[in-house]
Amino acid sequence: MSPKPDPSVISNIATPDFARLPDPARLFARRAARLRALSSDARLGPYLRFLADLSEMLAGLAAELAPPAGVDAATIARNRSVRMPPIDRAALIRSDDMAAIWTAVLDRAGGLAMPDPARAALEALRSAPEADRQALLAELAADRVPEGFAAPAAFAAAALQLAASRLAATLDPAQLVPIRTGICPSCGGLPQASIVTATIQLDGARYAACACCSTQWNEVRVKCLCCGSTKGIGYRAIEGAAEEAAIRAEICNECDSWVKILYQNRDARLEPFADDIASLGLDALMRDTEWRRGGFNPFLVGY
Amino acid sequence: MNIDLSRRSFIKLAGAGVVASSLGSLGFGEAEAQELAHIKPFRLTTLTETRNTCPYCSVACGIIMYSEGDARNGQAELIHIEGDVDHPTNRGTLCPKGAALKDFVRSESRLTEPKIRRPGSDAFEPISWDEALDRIARALKDDRDENLVQFNEDGVPVNRLTTTGVLAASATTNETAWATFKVIKAMGIAGFDNQARV
Repeated sequence: MSPKPDPSVISNIATPDFARLPDPARLFARRAARLRALSSDARLGPYLRFLADLSEMLAGLAAELAPPAGVDAATIARNRSVRMPPIDRAALIRSDDMAAIWTAVLDRAGGLAMPDPARAALEALRSAPEADRQALLAELAADRVPEGFAAPAAFAAAALQLAASRLAATLDPAQLVPIRTGICPSCGGLPQASIVTATIQLDGARYAACACCSTQWNEVRVKCLCCGSTKGIGYRAIEGAAEEAAIRAEICNECDSWVKILYQNRDARLEPFADDIASLGLDALMRDTEWRRGGFNPFLVGY
Repeated sequence: MNIDLSRRSFIKLAGAGVVASSLGSLGFGEAEAQELAHIKPFRLTTLTETRNTCPYCSVACGIIMYSEGDARNGQAELIHIEGDVDHPTNRGTLCPKGAALKDFVRSESRLTEPKIRRPGSDAFEPISWDEALDRIARALKDDRDENLVQFNEDGVPVNRLTTTGVLAASATTNETAWATFKVIKAMGIAGFDNQARV
């Protein structure tokens, strides 16, 4: 108990944590389970099953590998003092942990069931020169998928997500500071979507989910994650029972972009990555509007 | 970094052309086509979430109002109201009155214009704003002329009007709350509530 009275405390209402760091083994296991559950009755079933297998493989790797060397305290303090994220992704992709994961992913992915074009992309990656693989990782670490690289980028993104979330897991959430609206406080990445959470103590707080390291950070509701505007925000959902729609597009008329928002207080099963993929129909409808997709997901290139 | 070089080597090694989407280039084009065909007949519904302030009391809790349709064009139907988690005053909580705000907004007996129940009548009837404000000013003046207490029991001058009470709006700006306070307190009214109290 603080000796000072705090009038802002309301009953058992928790102050939202600024950041929730990932637990990689649980994260990818939960993602795999959700993808598998979604795949059973979806037209996208084959793709969701492939991603579930991939996530399961990542969960296995996360459980097996020794924890990575964390970011050193001096770097954290320096970056924090200038409001920069502690993880430097350009350094991460050159790290030993990244190299070990990359090798393991390329090796084990061969054992997964996948269509011929995916297998061809994997083979191409395996035989590509190291410089090319690094170039692809560098693009993904800057939240870009180079045109025409969607297939190899999927495997590279899987490896990068595992490496980044393992490094993010070593951070101290109390040391993270807000960088800017829509920028991950752990790695500086873009959000793939945002979720409106529902826990016993906290109902309705919004968290953005990083597309790279899976850190979730608190963001104000009804605010554009691309430009930070609170003006001109609207929502789109697929027609029919829109009132109940648990997945919506948050549009911004100031910067003409949209980011997916998942309401866990309407459907507690929602998982930011799995449901972002499974709700591809919303992306397809939004593709025909004047708004461009602001959430980054390297497994949804083309939307 | 030379991405053009990398692309050439990938394309040569993979033997594949440039395919736009993740699903297509990974060989899930059929699943993607099925999903696109399924979603094609559907349309998008417009929804709005609007921040506002609960109008009940001077605590002035933050609320989020959900509506179907575009509230920015006035073409929306209110479907849900909940506490605003990001608001420092109530942090998402609402009292039972605030939690029932939707019924308040959509109530059939909601007051949407000034009304008067004239002496001897048992029903309210509409009245114009001009007439209503004139009557309120007249009644206030008459009441103050008649009942203002100018000296207390000890003969000390006071400004005390206890026969009139005022309940002001909660969703006002600091400036409006300040002006309201100045006007009402200057008249000597003690029975007074607005959010400047808290």
